[in-house]
Amino acid sequence: MAEEAGYINYFETLALPNGANPGEVRKTYRKLMKQLSNQISSVEMTPERQSQFIMQIATMNAAVYVLKDKERREAYWTEREALIALEAEWCSLDESDIERHNKLRGHFDNEVNAFLSKYVQEMAQNAGTDNEVIEASRWDEAHARHATQLLRQYRHHLYHEILERLPYHEVTKPIIDWEERQRVVGELLEGLC
Amino acid sequence: MARAVATPEKIVNLELTAKAFSYAVYTGDFVNFRFLFSSLSPVRSWTSQVLETEKYSYLLPKGDDENDSMYQEAYKAVKNDAMWAFITNELKEKRPAQLPAELVLLIADNAVRASKFTIAAQAYELLRLRRKMQAEFFKDADEALSSGNIPKAVQGYRITTGLAYDYSAFPEPLPKVANHQGDALRMHGRYPNSPKECLSVLPEEDHTNLALGYLLGDGAAANRLREYPLETRLAFVKELVRRMDPHWDTFVERYRKACTLVLEFADRMQHKNTTLEDEIDEQQGHVPTQITEALLGRTIENGEWWQYLKDLAYEHPAAILFIARQRFGNHEILMPRLRGESSLPTVLGLAENLPEGA
Repeated sequence: MAEEAGYINYFETLALPNGANPGEVRKTYRKLMKQLSNQISSVEMTPERQSQFIMQIATMNAAVYVLKDKERREAYWTEREALIALEAEWCSLDESDIERHNKLRGHFDNEVNAFLSKYVQEMAQNAGTDNEVIEASRWDEAHARHATQLLRQYRHHLYHEILERLPYHEVTKPIIDWEERQRVVGELLEGLC
Repeated sequence: MARAVATPEKIVNLELTAKAFSYAVYTGDFVNFRFLFSSLSPVRSWTSQVLETEKYSYLLPKGDDENDSMYQEAYKAVKNDAMWAFITNELKEKRPAQLPAELVLLIADNAVRASKFTIAAQAYELLRLRRKMQAEFFKDADEALSSGNIPKAVQGYRITTGLAYDYSAFPEPLPKVANHQGDALRMHGRYPNSPKECLSVLPEEDHTNLALGYLLGDGAAANRLREYPLETRLAFVKELVRRMDPHWDTFVERYRKACTLVLEFADRMQHKNTTLEDEIDEQQGHVPTQITEALLGRTIENGEWWQYLKDLAYEHPAAILFIARQRFGNHEILMPRLRGESSLPTVLGLAENLPEGA
């Protein structure tokens, strides 16, 4: 769903319906990891592909790590739902209520950063120390080092995906005529040639 | 107790304020534009800073700037009734100002016009338009490339890669800037144990793709170019180098000189029927560093090969694609190395007028 884009859904990562039980999660993870290993060994490795595969493995590892544990999984889902509700509340506010807007913006920004930091970066890193995950994904220190920067990048990518839907505050909302923009792009290119 | 004397509120020159805003828009200067809206701004009535002073002269148009049509357009946008009312209101409010999107967009476009791509990236990012603008520039650049308009395509790719953002930057995402020096060190990081391992003698296709990725500093953009025929990519690299490095011809001259020195060195060894080690001993342990110095055009005192490489990558980014590391005893130098049948050095003028035997 568009309004949930950016709030990483680990059930989707493992191609499972929301609420799938830990047994299903483990089974699907092992199956997907096997498929991915076969895919990795069948292609010529380039730096771009390597980064892409490491990200895929890191995200799947984080997914199984979060969803196989009852407490972690409940905490994750509750925090995610609360954030989605908070975004909906903020977006439905009357634009003239600047004080309430600013208050919710600050609160939401803190919450969304904490959520993404915890569930995108921390959980992927913690998953790398889980024996079951290490065995299935052959995750090692070198992978963890490589993944650090990629995960940070991915976190910001998700943050921006959410940000795109939120009310503007540092700048007024731009009114963009894309036909006019295309003309400007053409002019800029011609002018600089 | 002395009575507190109320300080009279500063009278801000509104015409000068409008000029300062217009000048920031005209020059695509997002930093100055933000500063004018900041709490310390000289155009706020409650600050002790005064715009008319020498200190802030950099915020105002100079010389003929006011006669430039682009400046006049910026001034018109600033002085538009609704816009001017918005600006003056934001300056009155004692809170962080909200920036007017119309002017931020103009700043971004003017920054692109002035080739200040990182500024443009920041402004488009704030407006949440950066990725869409990148896509628009890519689209036009690809169309230009397909129709054979190489200069326009190169410019399009340069803008697009210039608008990229590094979301992994610390402490917060920043515009991505190509790091040719770091990349050059990485590319020459492993010592080539045989000539075949030198990146400068890679097969033509691979060498051209490597050149594109390195020069654009963006793997994704370079991958898009792989779809085009080799001739197109070669022409693209030629134009890209010409735009990135206006002094490339100086390097070409130096490269020839370095080739001459390599030949002289090889010739001396051949005529004496001696080994490389003997030659070094004869020179009392001196390494032919003059070859590396010839490439850079100057000497770095006690400079190691990697220092020369970094400086070379800074001054002539493309240069590092046509050199190799060479060990002499405990020392290493950088020397020219080319693949004879490759077209890449030819299109860049490196293979022309080389000394006989090179």
